[in-house]
Amino acid sequence: MSIDEGKVLICDDSILARKQIKDIISIVGNPTILEASDGEGAIEMYKAHKPDLVFLDIVMPKKDGNIAIEEIMAYDKDAVIIIVSSVGTHSQLKCALEAGATDFIQKPINKIQIIDALNKYLGR
Amino acid sequence: MFNQFFGNYLFSNGHITKEQLLPALARQSKAMMHVSTLALYSGYMSAQEIQHVIELQEEEGKKFSELAIKYGYLTQHQVMELLNTKAPDFLILGQILINDGVFTYAELENILTDYRSQAEFLDFELNDENRNDFHRLVEDFSIISEAAIPEFGKSYLELLFNNFVRYIGDDFSTLPPSLCTEFATECCVSQTIEGHYVVNTYFNMDEATALAFAERYSGEPYHEVDEYVMASIEDLLNLHNGLFIVNASNDSLNELSIGVIGHHPNTIINFENVTYLFPICYPFGIIYFIMEIISL
Repeated sequence: MSIDEGKVLICDDSILARKQIKDIISIVGNPTILEASDGEGAIEMYKAHKPDLVFLDIVMPKKDGNIAIEEIMAYDKDAVIIIVSSVGTHSQLKCALEAGATDFIQKPINKIQIIDALNKYLGR
Repeated sequence: MFNQFFGNYLFSNGHITKEQLLPALARQSKAMMHVSTLALYSGYMSAQEIQHVIELQEEEGKKFSELAIKYGYLTQHQVMELLNTKAPDFLILGQILINDGVFTYAELENILTDYRSQAEFLDFELNDENRNDFHRLVEDFSIISEAAIPEFGKSYLELLFNNFVRYIGDDFSTLPPSLCTEFATECCVSQTIEGHYVVNTYFNMDEATALAFAERYSGEPYHEVDEYVMASIEDLLNLHNGLFIVNASNDSLNELSIGVIGHHPNTIINFENVTYLFPICYPFGIIYFIMEIISL
């Protein structure tokens, strides 16, 4: 699959963070972009569209990122979820990875890490 | 030394009033340095010598540097060196206050001597090590406050000032913190840090300040306070608190967490716990950082 054929779900309660990730994605390709601003929205969006890659914040209203990971993984054990969060504590990292997250990107959002993730999980 | 603390130093030591400081900070980015002030700062001329040259200027109507060379106070080489030197921001603030008639050269000379000895710095330019070393300054800063700031609060402020330098710019000046029981908000967001202590943290600023803040933070121009502008304020608070709890968790076994961002536009917040108000003054406006200690 090329990046342009992929579907990417960006879930963050910050509209600015979502825009930053979208802007970075547009540098390398033009995949279908889906957005959600809370954990509940992310779960619904995932079930409706089954995206190939999810960028997910942790601290969000209406179900936080950890709950969203658990519910998405329960629905699709092959989901690829990259945490993008400022809360990179050891216990948070452990919690997210145990719940099924594939990777963790510490905010501030790093362009190279986002592009690497796109190439790794969509550019296959 | 950091300009961030020079304004605070001037204010705290009674050299200037807030009414004199704030307009001076607002003009900082546009101010031109004079050779006379650079000569004073570099130690090439005393305030008395500068005053003499200024008097000669009135008589002879020539440029300051020309007369300073003519009367043997400066060499041509020194003038060139001064003209090619980038002045530190805090000296620019000093220049504005001289222009405004707040200080004479003699007063600025004394203030700089005192400020330098307090700050124990000798170098004209900052190096990265100095720039990142906010620790002692935060200690001094916190002593000024009306109530002792808890230890974690000092680490928090140290990181906050670093993050302001990193994400908004180093051209800010702090004013002494004060205790606060109520606050009238404008563009205001909050976030709670929770663990073995609990604090509420807030950023508040007026709309014009919010626009300029967001432009600096995101690098995009904004013309009205929209959701992107507010998201910029939220983002920095969230990012800063996230980085703080990562550091705090690495330094101890106590895990902290942060809550979702709260919004408090144009309202009055009453604080029932000890609450500190920290004004952070940029040329584009004042950002108020508020820390309410819920439990220790």
